[in-house]
Amino acid sequence: MPPDKLEILQGTLDLMVLRTLFAMGPLHGYGIARRIEQISGNEIVLNQGTIYVSLVRLENRGWIKSKDGVSENNRRAKFYSITKAGTKQLEVENDQWERLTAMMGRLLTAEG
Amino acid sequence: MLDSIRAVWTRFCATFSAERIAREFDEELRAHVAMSMDELRRSGMTDADARREAMRKLGRLDPLRDDHRAARGLPVLDILVEAVRHATRRLARTPMFAAIVTLTLAVGIGANTALFSLVDNLLLRTLPVRSPEQLVEFAVHSIVRGQLNGKPVAGEFNRATFAQVAAQSQGIAGVVGYRYVERPKISIDGVPQAERAIDYASTNFFRELGVPMIVGRYPDESDGDVIVISERWWRSRFGGSLDALGHTITVDDRVYRLIGVAPLRFHGFEIDRSVDAWISPGSTELGMVARLRAGVTQAQAAALLHNILITEVLPPDRGDSLVTIARSMAHGISELRSQYQNALIALMALVLLVLLTTCANVGNLVMLRHIGRRRELTMRATLGASRARLVVHSLVETSMLALAGCVGGLLFAAWALRIVVALLPLSAVPEVLAFHVDTRMLAFVSVISALSVLLFGLVPAWRAADVDLAGTLQSSHAMSAPSRTRRLGRLLVGAQVALSVVLIVGAGLFVQTLRNLSKLQMGYGTERLLQVTLDPRFAGYQEAQMPALARHLLERVGAVPGVRSVSRTSWPLMIGSSTSMGIPLPNLPDRPGMSGMWDAIDVGPQFFETMGIALVRGRIFTNADFISDTVDFQSDRHRSETAAEGAARRRRMGPYIVNESFQTGRYDGGDPMQAGSPIVGIVKDVKLFGVKEDVRPLMFLISRVPRRVGALQVRTVGDPQAVEQGIAEAIRSVNPQLLRTVSTLGEVTGRSIAKERMVASISGFFGVLGLVLATMGVFGIASSAVTQRTKELGIRRALGAGQGVLIRDSLRETVGMIALGLMVGALVAVVAVRVTSRLTTDLLFGITPTDAGTLVVSVGLIVLVGVAACAIPALRAARVDPLICIRED
Repeated sequence: MPPDKLEILQGTLDLMVLRTLFAMGPLHGYGIARRIEQISGNEIVLNQGTIYVSLVRLENRGWIKSKDGVSENNRRAKFYSITKAGTKQLEVENDQWERLTAMMGRLLTAEG
Repeated sequence: MLDSIRAVWTRFCATFSAERIAREFDEELRAHVAMSMDELRRSGMTDADARREAMRKLGRLDPLRDDHRAARGLPVLDILVEAVRHATRRLARTPMFAAIVTLTLAVGIGANTALFSLVDNLLLRTLPVRSPEQLVEFAVHSIVRGQLNGKPVAGEFNRATFAQVAAQSQGIAGVVGYRYVERPKISIDGVPQAERAIDYASTNFFRELGVPMIVGRYPDESDGDVIVISERWWRSRFGGSLDALGHTITVDDRVYRLIGVAPLRFHGFEIDRSVDAWISPGSTELGMVARLRAGVTQAQAAALLHNILITEVLPPDRGDSLVTIARSMAHGISELRSQYQNALIALMALVLLVLLTTCANVGNLVMLRHIGRRRELTMRATLGASRARLVVHSLVETSMLALAGCVGGLLFAAWALRIVVALLPLSAVPEVLAFHVDTRMLAFVSVISALSVLLFGLVPAWRAADVDLAGTLQSSHAMSAPSRTRRLGRLLVGAQVALSVVLIVGAGLFVQTLRNLSKLQMGYGTERLLQVTLDPRFAGYQEAQMPALARHLLERVGAVPGVRSVSRTSWPLMIGSSTSMGIPLPNLPDRPGMSGMWDAIDVGPQFFETMGIALVRGRIFTNADFISDTVDFQSDRHRSETAAEGAARRRRMGPYIVNESFQTGRYDGGDPMQAGSPIVGIVKDVKLFGVKEDVRPLMFLISRVPRRVGALQVRTVGDPQAVEQGIAEAIRSVNPQLLRTVSTLGEVTGRSIAKERMVASISGFFGVLGLVLATMGVFGIASSAVTQRTKELGIRRALGAGQGVLIRDSLRETVGMIALGLMVGALVAVVAVRVTSRLTTDLLFGITPTDAGTLVVSVGLIVLVGVAACAIPALRAARVDPLICIRED
């Protein structure tokens, strides 16, 4: 594993998954994983399995829902899609994330 | 908020479908790997390489599955489910422990449930009528020598009194009347029926009580003779059909039209007698139950009735010695309750002690088990199990035991209740005493089970988790528990010993009471004495036929081989009732303050000879007395007679015979048989109405022209049982419906101490149980003390310590705790029994509550048991092999 890859920060995976589903519509676990890898330009270390733990967390809170379906290459898979509550939550988290990154930015640049 | 509830719910469900979810997740992962491989193959990889790369990208599977499960389910529930599995496995590995604990708990919980069922049914439940707490029943009692006579002078009232009470509308909202019909003869549409309990009931009875008719309608004033039957009878006789209405039921030769069916839950005011039908009362006098308006006290209501009675009903000269009492009808009336209330409460307290003992015992066993499992617990703690998890595991195990105990307890309760009810002198078991598992009982059982889990499970569980990681794993300390745990164990054993002392002392007192009662002298020989009870009214005899019937019966029974002599009384003996009456005696001055009522019994010819009642002075009734022309105490008596006529009639009554108490009580030891007195003889004091009764002044009245023949007394030559059959046949030959029972007076007196027998047997049973449990507890803690010190003892033995010293040192703490338990227990027992005896007088007989003998014997018994329980561990301590210090570990 190349040493210059980013570790995923605690709690950010959920946001990534939510955002992906918001942007792409219904998608299976593998699709979500691939999409995150592509967007990141292979910048991050992703154990694809952790996606599924994240999916369970999000589904338990009612932010996404799942349905059995068939993939483009004719494989049976579970498809996830974002719910109304999930969309609302995404806004909240987006907002928080922006505030956090802005704050981190200020903190890290404000030397001396 | 909703989110989190939803999340918890989803996880909750997930816990119970773990298998399915795991399977689904595996499928999902398979699909993932397949898709990943598809893509990799497209980029030119071989199958094997694609698979390896797909798996690498997915990550390690086992932690993933764990994380997924943790995210899916509730961590707490997961722990619980795991704990249940774990506990099941562990209990299955020690079936003996599980069995003993379950059994002990079952007995503790079951005993409490059985007693609670009785207490609830007899003491706690209110009548199933509208606002039962507003109901009171009226009765008029006499006051004799400043004391209230327990038997009412009047409990039934005529219509005029009813109307007047009902008119007191400011205090009384309504009045209903009822009275039982004595052994009614019933036929439906002309077909004779088996005997059933029937009451008279005033027309407004059901409407006023708020008891709806499930079929038909309420009776009306304009109805004439109508009958309302119970749902039970309706279903069994009419199959629950609506056609029942309009049938006619004949009761004692009067025809009643069936107009309604009362619901199953209501069976009259008497809770231990299920009434099957209520009939129009005609002009019969009825017991009076009134509904008081809000704010009216029972005393005010009683005063109200008293004023009416004084002005209208009672003779004015008696007014001062009579008092009217209004008694709450909220719980109905019950002969069983009035007799057994105190006994039931005492037994309830006793079985609660039993529950505590069983809890202490189980707690002790659970803890000893934990001590034995220290190494396992420590290992788990070392491997990262949290203390909370260890406590939960331990609690789950005890809860499972409690649940098993709970189920066993219900079974035991059903069985125990049957035994208890069988100890009661009942001819038929009333509905109310039957065992029903209902919500109240289940609530009670759950509460006491939860309580016992707390008592025996929590503390040991906490201690169980109190592990010393390093110390315990080192082999030399592997078997020794922290001293705190052992101290708790000793404390539990001490508590058990104390509780057993209380149980044993209580049981001892009750058993002693029973023995005292069975040894009581009746004043006559009960062996070879039979009593025959009869029901001439049921057999269809009118009052005018009684004298002929009496003659006939005495002749027939007297002729049965093996019969020495026969006599008769109006009512059976030894069933607790006598007639109270006051008869002013001519030519005899009353002792000041001694006028009033005393017990009297009317007897037929040969009564004293048959009963074997010894004469002190004078003479007994002779045959000449029975054919003289003087009048009976009860004949020719009319309400309308003037005072002068009454006095004249009383002068012609007699002769009388009195007992010694009558002489000493009424005449100050003077001679009641002086010239002109109607008293012709004095006999020994005897008990004719009940074993426990005090000997009171008693007057024997001569019964020449009986108005009732309720019982015959038969003295036999030899074995009375051999003659019973002949007597029964002789009576059936007179009339097949006449006979009720034939039994020896010994059996009858046995029935009259049934309550004491019940209390003594139950408390005796639990006393022994407590003793067994205490023995187990002492044995357990003593052997554990020795086991834990085996190594130390071995070393000391090797160094030459004497056996006595070893025994003393290993058991000193245990013995100290037993001694402490004994002292505390004895103290508690003395206080408890004292308090109880101050509250009630009818449980103990012939002993003081602080009976020294009982206390000494009880304590001695427990010391004996304690020593026995310590003996084997002590022997083991003394025989510890010195080589053990080398051999172990």
